[in-house]
Amino acid sequence: MEVVVQVVFGLIALFILVAAAMVVSVRNVIHSALWLIACFFGVGALYLLLQAEFLAVVQVLVYVGAVSVLILFAIMLTRQISGEGVRQLTSRWPVVLVVTVLLFATVMAPTLINQQWNVPPAPPLGTPEPIAGPAELGRGFVNEFLIQFQVVGVLLTVALIGAIVIAFEERARRRRVLTLAEELELKRLRERATQTETPEPVEAEPVARETRPASEG
Amino acid sequence: MYDMLAALINGTLGWGWPEWALNLLSYILVVTIVLVVAPLQMLFFTYYERRVIARMQDRVGPNRVGPEGIWQPIADGVKMFTKEDIVPQAADRIVHFLAPCVVVAPTVLMFAVVPWGPGMVPVDLPTGLLFFFAISSISAVGLMMAGWASNNKFSLLGAMRAVAQMVSYEIPAVLSLIAIVIVVGSLSINDIIAYQTGLIVSNRDLPGIPDLGLGWFVFTPVGFVAFIAFFIAALAEGERTPFDIPEADSEIVAGYMTEYSGMKFGLFYLAQYVLNFLLCAITAIIFFGGWQGPGVGWLYAQGITPENPNGNGLFNVLAGVLGVFYFLLKTYLFFFVMVWLRGALPRLRIDQLMDFGWKFLIPLTLANLFSAALWVAFTRWGPAEGMLITVGWSPVLRWLAAFVVTLAINLGVYLWLTRVYAASQAERRRAELEELIAAGS
Repeated sequence: MEVVVQVVFGLIALFILVAAAMVVSVRNVIHSALWLIACFFGVGALYLLLQAEFLAVVQVLVYVGAVSVLILFAIMLTRQISGEGVRQLTSRWPVVLVVTVLLFATVMAPTLINQQWNVPPAPPLGTPEPIAGPAELGRGFVNEFLIQFQVVGVLLTVALIGAIVIAFEERARRRRVLTLAEELELKRLRERATQTETPEPVEAEPVARETRPASEG
Repeated sequence: MYDMLAALINGTLGWGWPEWALNLLSYILVVTIVLVVAPLQMLFFTYYERRVIARMQDRVGPNRVGPEGIWQPIADGVKMFTKEDIVPQAADRIVHFLAPCVVVAPTVLMFAVVPWGPGMVPVDLPTGLLFFFAISSISAVGLMMAGWASNNKFSLLGAMRAVAQMVSYEIPAVLSLIAIVIVVGSLSINDIIAYQTGLIVSNRDLPGIPDLGLGWFVFTPVGFVAFIAFFIAALAEGERTPFDIPEADSEIVAGYMTEYSGMKFGLFYLAQYVLNFLLCAITAIIFFGGWQGPGVGWLYAQGITPENPNGNGLFNVLAGVLGVFYFLLKTYLFFFVMVWLRGALPRLRIDQLMDFGWKFLIPLTLANLFSAALWVAFTRWGPAEGMLITVGWSPVLRWLAAFVVTLAINLGVYLWLTRVYAASQAERRRAELEELIAAGS
């Protein structure tokens, strides 16, 4: 059984790495977003392998279902999707490589050096489950990790409000295309206005404007 | 499935197969059943919808192929298979090919957690409900792929609309289900069904109610509001007619499916009807007890169950048949309602859709969440949780208090929200008209 798990882990890890490499190396931006989704799926599979079923499902729900869709939405708004004729590497990429390797090493080195590599034996049967289920996670959020949870919540709300502020447009400055119903209503309003204000029919000017083709709607 | 096979092969036939072989065989059987049942339901649904909508529009509908036209879906399927598969020259071939697969696969996967009868769930996940919605959200990616890869502006517009709609209406759908999850205290679909025993009032809330399998959530204020909100959101997720904006034929041809032909189009069609079936099924399961109904619980108790290994296998079959009957009856009834709405209502505008989802349904479901918490507090909590009011109350009194309080909250919030929503829509309309007049003069 151990061997099977390790082989499966190897395959999933390989898949994740290949997908991640494709994300940064493919020219087409949409393709790289799709590879990113494949990468998210791989991470979900890793969670399943760790028997963290809830986390795996949430990974699919949040990352594949929501985040990646938002990424795709954002990409659709950009130009040069196909990415032809775009340099993928700057001319100083060796420097960048060295810096990133060093940064990665500073993160990984303590773990690698201090780790004893003693895989603990499987706990005896009947030991309580570690945090994996939704109930345990929820209890953790409202007891032990309350502050962190609230801070993340505030952070997300700030991002949300910021997005609204950026996207908000004054109603008066918005250019609207009228629907047919609105054209009709406008016409009726103007007619009523002309009837009440100016009884004598001076209709040449307004009629000419009102009968313009309403095909924009 | 495993228990049944083990009893049959190692018990009755005495072949003595090892455990892994039984496991493998049982999973292969389950997967086969799931993969066969999904397209069959889709075939039936297309026929059902066409006949019902025809009757509503004073027509006859398909009635030529077979008795009453029952083989019409098969003829359509043959037509789909024999059509030429056209890929636009400017399309992104790989993504164009992958998109229908990414749309269909999740809908079939969702079948894996749908229980058909007592003890008849393909895979009983402890997080089944969450799995159902997590998997369903994947198809948005497929729609986006289809819309973009077709290299057609109608496809892209349709995909954008579809995805925006799905992402917005997923929130009220999930929020309304969370209310039920709070009351049940479990994400397992089987637990949710098991909770709905009793008669009008659930057995779990009031022990002593006779078990007729009718303690459905829709009879509680929390469940009723959740049901209405969920069903509306399900209409939007399934792209059913008041919300069929993504494939509004009069505006954008066929939306994201415009550039698909032959069996690839057929796969989109399949995914859509399978999704509709699943949404109806999950509505029936969560709010109307799924396979619960008069007699099923009693029959199943006589059969072979983990608690009662010496039961009679015949009763298992009977309970299964009756359970599947109740389940499909409810599901088809909800699909009838969907077709009915299609026959009765015109399509919404996209801003009406977004306004209704974000400004009405989400606040309503959030208030319902609060009611659900109060429901749990009144019916189940004691002094240990800090609920000191209900000390010494009888279960009936506690249930009544929960009912009245949640009813008052839900009704009040509903009335208040309708007024606020109507006022805001009227105000907006007035502002727009003023603007129009200002722009026109």
